[in-house]
Formats: sequence, C-alpha cells, structure tokens
Amino acid sequence: MAETDRSPPLVGWNLKLSASSFHKLSALFTLACLIIVFSFGNPAFFSINNGLTVLLQTAVIGLLGIGMTLVIITGGIDLSVGSVLALSGTVTGLCVKAGIPVAPSMAIGVCVGAACGLFNGFVITKMRITPFVATLGMMLIARGVALQLTGAAPISRLGEAFGVLGNGSLFRIIEKGANGFPKVVFPGIPYPVILLAIVAVAAAYLLNRRQIGRHIYATGSNEEAARLSGVAVDRTKMIAYTLSGALAGLSGNVLMSRLITAQPNEGVMYELDAIAAAVIGGASLMGGIGNISGTMIGAFIIGVLRNGLNMAGVSAFIQQILIGFIVILAVYIDQIRNRR
Amino acid sequence: MNLHHAPSSTPLVEMVDIEKHFGGIRAVNGVTLDLYPGEVVGVLGHNGAGKSCLMRILSGAMIPSKGQVRINGQDAQIHSPHDARDLGIETIYQTLALADHLDAPSNLFLGRELKTRFGSLDDGRMMREAVDVLKRLNPNFKNLSDPVSSLSGGQRQVIAIARAIYFDVKILIMDEPTAALGPSETAMVSKLIKQLRDDGIGILLVSHDMHDVFELCDRVVVMNKGKNVGSHRIEDVTKDDVLSLIIKGQLPDDWVPRSQETVQ
Repeated sequence: MAETDRSPPLVGWNLKLSASSFHKLSALFTLACLIIVFSFGNPAFFSINNGLTVLLQTAVIGLLGIGMTLVIITGGIDLSVGSVLALSGTVTGLCVKAGIPVAPSMAIGVCVGAACGLFNGFVITKMRITPFVATLGMMLIARGVALQLTGAAPISRLGEAFGVLGNGSLFRIIEKGANGFPKVVFPGIPYPVILLAIVAVAAAYLLNRRQIGRHIYATGSNEEAARLSGVAVDRTKMIAYTLSGALAGLSGNVLMSRLITAQPNEGVMYELDAIAAAVIGGASLMGGIGNISGTMIGAFIIGVLRNGLNMAGVSAFIQQILIGFIVILAVYIDQIRNRR
Repeated sequence: MNLHHAPSSTPLVEMVDIEKHFGGIRAVNGVTLDLYPGEVVGVLGHNGAGKSCLMRILSGAMIPSKGQVRINGQDAQIHSPHDARDLGIETIYQTLALADHLDAPSNLFLGRELKTRFGSLDDGRMMREAVDVLKRLNPNFKNLSDPVSSLSGGQRQVIAIARAIYFDVKILIMDEPTAALGPSETAMVSKLIKQLRDDGIGILLVSHDMHDVFELCDRVVVMNKGKNVGSHRIEDVTKDDVLSLIIKGQLPDDWVPRSQETVQ
C-alpha cells in the first residue's frame, strides 16, 4: 500500500523516503520547531501542565480530524461536522435533562451524529449529490435542528456526572501539602486525550489493516476501478460518512461535557480546523492519500500554534491568519513534492 | 453460426438476444454470441459498434435492457462485477482499472483481499502471492510496494492481467490488451493467451489489431451498429473479409468460405 505505516522497512536506509513519510517528517519537523520557538518565548509553555492543556484542546479537533480524514481519503469532504457536533451535544444535554442517565444519553448523542453522517452518505451515493453540497446542506440542517430544539439557549445545570468525560483524568496524583491543602503532584491524563488515543489507534487499524480501510483508499484513488474490482463503493462511502458523523457526535459530547453545558452555538467553523488538520497531515483533497498519524500531527500543529500564540498574547484574529497561511503552505509543499 | 466443436460440448457463455438502450439509442440491438471452452473469439467492430457495451454486460459493469446470459448452460443473473467474478468471468479493461495510490498486491487482491483468521488483512500473504504471480508473468517485475502510479505501462498491464488470471478464471474478457504495450510485452501477452486457451479457458478478445486477431483467434464475431453481423472461423475469412464486415456490415458479394474454396 501507498501508506507509509506499512511500507516495508527502509532497506539499508537508502534515503528513499516514500512520498507520505516525507510529508509526515516535514510536518513533524514543523511541530518540533513550533514547540522549541514557543518554549523560548515563554518558559511556562514547556511544562507538563501546559502540555496536558494542549492535548486537551487538541482532542476535539483530533476526533473531528480523524473522521474527516476517512472522508477525505474517499475523495469527499464533510462540512457538517461542526454542526453535527453541536446537535449531538445538545441532544445529549436534552436527554440528561429529561432524566436519562449520562452514559446512555451520550450514546444517544453519538448515534444522532452517526445518523447525520449516514444521511450524508445516502444523499451523496443514492441521490448523487456532490459531497460539498450534501454536507453543506447537513451543516445548515444540523445547526438549525440544534437551535430549534433548544430555542438557541444553552442547557446548563446538567450535573457533575455530565462533566466527567470532559474534565476527569486518569492517574491524577494529589498529596496533602504541609499546610493541609491538597497539592496536585500530577494533574493526570485527561479522559478526552485517552479517548483521542484510543480512537486514533482504532481508526489507523481500520484504515491499514481492515478490508474497509483498503476499500476507502481504493474508492478515493479510482472510484471506477474500485467498482469494477467488485468494491461496494457506495457502501464504503456510507461507512466513511457515518463514522465521520459518529466521531463528530463523540467530540460534541466531549466538548459539551468540558463546558458542563450543552451549547447549540458551539463548533462553528470547526469543520475547517478538521480539514486543516487532515491537509496539514498530508491528506489529499483529490482522494486516495492520507493517514491518521499525519492528521494527528496536523491537529497538534494547530493546537500548539493556538496555545503558544495565546500564551504569547497574540490575538485570536492573528491566529486565524497564521493558520490560514499554514494550510496554504502545507498544500503548496505537497504539490512541489508531487511535481518532482 | 459456425460450431466447430463437438455438438455435445456446452458453450461456456451464451448471450441471447441482448439489448441495451440508452434513451432512444440502441447500443446493443439483439446480439447473440457464444463462447466455448478453450476458444479465443475476437470481438471486432468500429468504435461505437456496441462491442464494449456487450463486454461490459458480460462483466457485470452494465445491466442489459433485455436478453439472457447463460453460463455453462445455466441462466445467470449478472448484476455487478462481483456477480461476474463469482461465475469465473474476469475482465482486463483497456483502462486497466487500477487504483493508482495502492501498491501492486493491493490492486491484485482489490475486492478479494486475503484475511487472517482475525479478519484483518493478510498483507504478508498477499505480497508473497503477488510476487509469485507477477514474477511468473514478468521475471523483471520490481517495486511491488510502490504505488502503481509510479510503475511503467507494461508493469501496470501485468498487474491487470495477473489480477484476472490469479483467481479461478473460466471466462476471460480482454479489452485491447496489447494497445499500450511494447513488442516484448505483446509477445508475452500472446503467449499467455495461447496458454490459457490450452487450459480450457474461453477468451473474448476485443481488438483493433488485425495481426493479433489473426494470430490468436479461433473465431471472429463482428459487430456493426449494435448488431452481430457475422461470426466466422478464422480459417474461413481473410483480413479483407473482416474489414468489409466491420465497415459495411456484410461480407464481400463474391465471398465463399476459404476452407471450402480449397476443397473445391
């Protein structure tokens, strides 16, 4: 397969890197540079606490980015993830308000996201509407439903249990200080980060080691060839969009849980961050190219950049400008490499 | 129809009264065609004569508007390329139908991936099998783990051929198999076709190359304006006869089968 994760070991290290590993290395190099620069700028940047904050902030974009990567590899795009995130979070919030326990409520929220994704897949494969238009429609529909269900008002007072997924952490170590107050020795690994790691590993396994993953690549690489080879192209696309919707639902739950409030206005423009993460990570919008590890690096580049610029006191507007340039640069580098 | 096989032998493929309409256009208009085991049949005709359409119907890429397909004398329902493959019908498309970003083994096994007992892809075994079959076709085959987009036209053709013959093929459809090839690769394909024929496989060869047709085929079927205008044993016709069928849709007025000519 074209993807590096499984390309043969570099025999004799002959400096012949496959295209995608070259891209991944350059992205990784960029990430390292960013971390070094920000560390010099602010000593507080390079600390465990801040590292965990970055991880936590990246979790939502990372989850969306994984779903987006699956869709982009099929040669499509999913513009609806930001809205689906909001809808799923609100549905979960409403369920909790209605007295359903937190875990099943969240499951319902994720299912709503998956249903939105399945609808996208149906419109794209059966009604033959281009992914851009189909998911643009869903972007408006999901946001509209979320706002309609809540009357555009946030749902708050959802209880402590609702906040566990977003705010809890594993291996948190607290000592009692000499003064009697608790002292946090290690803040623990936030649940969203653990969730991201699990989802990333699962998605990479799916893409590289399962038949459906191979078919996702084949569909994006040459849809007609895939169809003639007996690949169920429509089914493959439906699965990709459904997974993207489900992951949007999951990240919606993580985000709302972190805020302990269900916000129908959350997640606006998140789809663009997710696309940026995938593209910075080497995914091609033409389809057939992309991988999870690249997208994770892309998500962390965006996360580190946001965090570092925040700590350096750079305004959110300037951050947008910078990220915009980085997306263009990433695609440009990719093109130069392909022209060689 | 010229049946040079023993009457007892069942045709491998019988396509009966096949029609395919696109709006008001009849791309294929009541075509009947058969193919016997161990036979190479050339399917000839102008561009747009309906031959590709007919082949796509047999390979499951297109569903006929009317007509029946029988495989080994049994009615067959071919609704998808998958159905066709299950019946042992393999197709080598002119476009090769390769997924450019995947490597040779992934393309070879596309849609029919080998799996471990845990249900995950068995890439190691697919690579070994691919090396085996590709090296048999072309001993110089290299770069098996590169995306096929980076391979030469000949190598890509070899992958497309390997994909058709690796699995238990009974009926092979070849659409212009040598159009993109150099002389040595063309010779390899010719040798392979003869070998497959000797193994009892039925081959439908779509080609514009008269030299290939007369070298390889046992019989030619000529299509003109969506109809089958002639099915002849290759010994009975000359290149001029075939050209007349292709262009005018009929044999020259003074035509007599050449095999009978020599008898007289």
